[in-house]
Amino acid sequence: MSDLSPIAKTVADLRNTFDRSYSLPPSSSGAEQVENLLALRLAGNPYAIRVTEIAGLVNNRKTVAIPSPISELLGVAGIRGGLVPVYSLAALLGYDRNGYARDASPARWLALCGNEDQVGLGFSDLEGYLRVPAVQIYAASQENIMGGHVKDVARVDGLVRPVVSIPSVVEMIQRRCGEIRVSPMQL
Amino acid sequence: MWTFGRKIAAGFTLAFLLLVVIGAVAYRSINSLTKTSKMVTHTHEVLENISEMLSLLKDAETGQRGYIITGDQPFLEPYNTALNNLPKVIEKLRTLTADNPNQQRRISQAEPLIKAKLEELQQTIDLRRKGDVAQVTQIVRGGAGKKFMDDLRVIAGQMDQEERELLAKRAEEVESAAGSAQNTISYGTLLCLLLVTVAAFTITRSLSGQIGLAVRHVQSSSVELQSTANQQASGAKESSTAMNEITTTISELLATSRQIAESAQRVAHIAEETFKAAKSGDQTVEKAHDSVTGIKRQVDLIVTHMLDLGKKSQQIGGILEIINELAEQTNILAINATIEAAGAGDAGKRFAIVADEIRKLADRVAGSTKEIRGLIEEIRAAVNTTVMATEGGTKAVDLGARQFAEVAAALKQIGSLVATTTEAAREIELSTKQQTTAVEQVNAAISSVAQATRETEASLTQTLQTATQLTGLSRELSRLIQPTASA
Repeated sequence: MSDLSPIAKTVADLRNTFDRSYSLPPSSSGAEQVENLLALRLAGNPYAIRVTEIAGLVNNRKTVAIPSPISELLGVAGIRGGLVPVYSLAALLGYDRNGYARDASPARWLALCGNEDQVGLGFSDLEGYLRVPAVQIYAASQENIMGGHVKDVARVDGLVRPVVSIPSVVEMIQRRCGEIRVSPMQL
Repeated sequence: MWTFGRKIAAGFTLAFLLLVVIGAVAYRSINSLTKTSKMVTHTHEVLENISEMLSLLKDAETGQRGYIITGDQPFLEPYNTALNNLPKVIEKLRTLTADNPNQQRRISQAEPLIKAKLEELQQTIDLRRKGDVAQVTQIVRGGAGKKFMDDLRVIAGQMDQEERELLAKRAEEVESAAGSAQNTISYGTLLCLLLVTVAAFTITRSLSGQIGLAVRHVQSSSVELQSTANQQASGAKESSTAMNEITTTISELLATSRQIAESAQRVAHIAEETFKAAKSGDQTVEKAHDSVTGIKRQVDLIVTHMLDLGKKSQQIGGILEIINELAEQTNILAINATIEAAGAGDAGKRFAIVADEIRKLADRVAGSTKEIRGLIEEIRAAVNTTVMATEGGTKAVDLGARQFAEVAAALKQIGSLVATTTEAAREIELSTKQQTTAVEQVNAAISSVAQATRETEASLTQTLQTATQLTGLSRELSRLIQPTASA
């Protein structure tokens, strides 16, 4: 019974926390600003993306490879009844070139971006969901970090995570697709 | 090679033959001498008879004359005696000269003359007896009687002369035979002495050489015998010493055999106790084996339960994977709900809170599943460890069971061996007793041998003395035979 006591205590804490969250009023607009981030790892390095910059998150979707001049394109995957091109986020950040190691792990997670022409950014490891106060997010001191796709960094639990700008990545994809005059969907 | 006896016999034989020859020659000479002497005697006897014949004729004439003169009868006694003896003498002469024809012839001539003479004498005597003296004187004066006597004397002289010639001849023969015998004996004796001396010298030399050689051999052999006897005496002394040591050793061996017999008896007793203990140990081991078998069953049961527990934990892990998957999906849904709520603006704020809470719950569920997974992994590791430990225990139990079986078999074998040992110990005890008896007999025999060895030693000492004496005697004998050589 002594072994069960910590579990019962944990259960009680969980119950109290859950009940307290419903007992408190919703936070006012003037309250402390937080950023919702998804902590992830690209080629073994910690990164983060803003939840507000993606349209959805899926996992374990089958990606069918197709021939393409864009080497970062992993293939297409069926998402909610439609075909979505899937790019390697690590490759888009330059891990496959410029002296960076290639991210060999399969892209188990897909972050859906865009509203009409959705693209999927694939990555291998999702470390969790982070609610980071805005004061702990700093502008990157250098420009053109990781192809200019990292503009902020977040300090979480003593660890600095570069925050990837999804709109910047999507814009690059669209630009490169435009350069070869092929829409992303046509790929 | 001739032996001593043969040589000596040859020497004596030679001497004997010489003596026989000399004796034969002497016998022959003496026989001839005797024969010749007999013939001389015979001749003398013939001469005596011739002389007696003449003497008887003279006696008869003398008696006739006396009677004629006197007429007395007593004077006729010589006549009568001659008249009686003359035929005997004549017959004897004829017999003695039977081998001489001349003498026989003369006797034949003499016999008529004697007869005539005796008749003349008888005639005269008869005439005288008648008293006719004149006739008698006339007859005597006629001289017939005298003529008869003269003729008879001539014949007797012839016979005497021949006999004397024969006597001289036989005397010469006697002298010749005696000289021959003397020469034969003298020269034969000298020759015999010479031959005997030569033979004696030869035999003496030969025998001296051979006996000297033999004596030297005897001397050498006696020296060797002395040396050998000396060595044998020394060996016998050593043997005697060794026998004494052996006797001592066998006495110790006897004592040891007795101790071994006692020890074997104790061993037999201990082996019987050991047999009982082994039997008791066998029963104990059988009980322990049953217990180990029970433990093995329990351990097998534990292994089965642990394997079931491992399977159950795997099932829990599977379920936990499902829960984890659900939590992840819930988390994804919550994240997507948050995204959707953020897209809804202010209207979605409350939904965002709910979605956040759902996400937190999903996070907590994920954390809990992670903890549970850890616990399950620990359980599985513990189960695996326990299974391995129990398998090790099973193997140990199996090993223990096998070892118990081996121990039981070993105890049975020990029991069997102890029984054999008991039997062997009894046999050893019996054998050792027999050995003790045998050793006692050997001890007695060795004592006898030791006694015999001592006697042999004494005998060899005696032999040594005898050999020494023999050496001295052979040296003396050698000195006697060959003084120069021995010197």
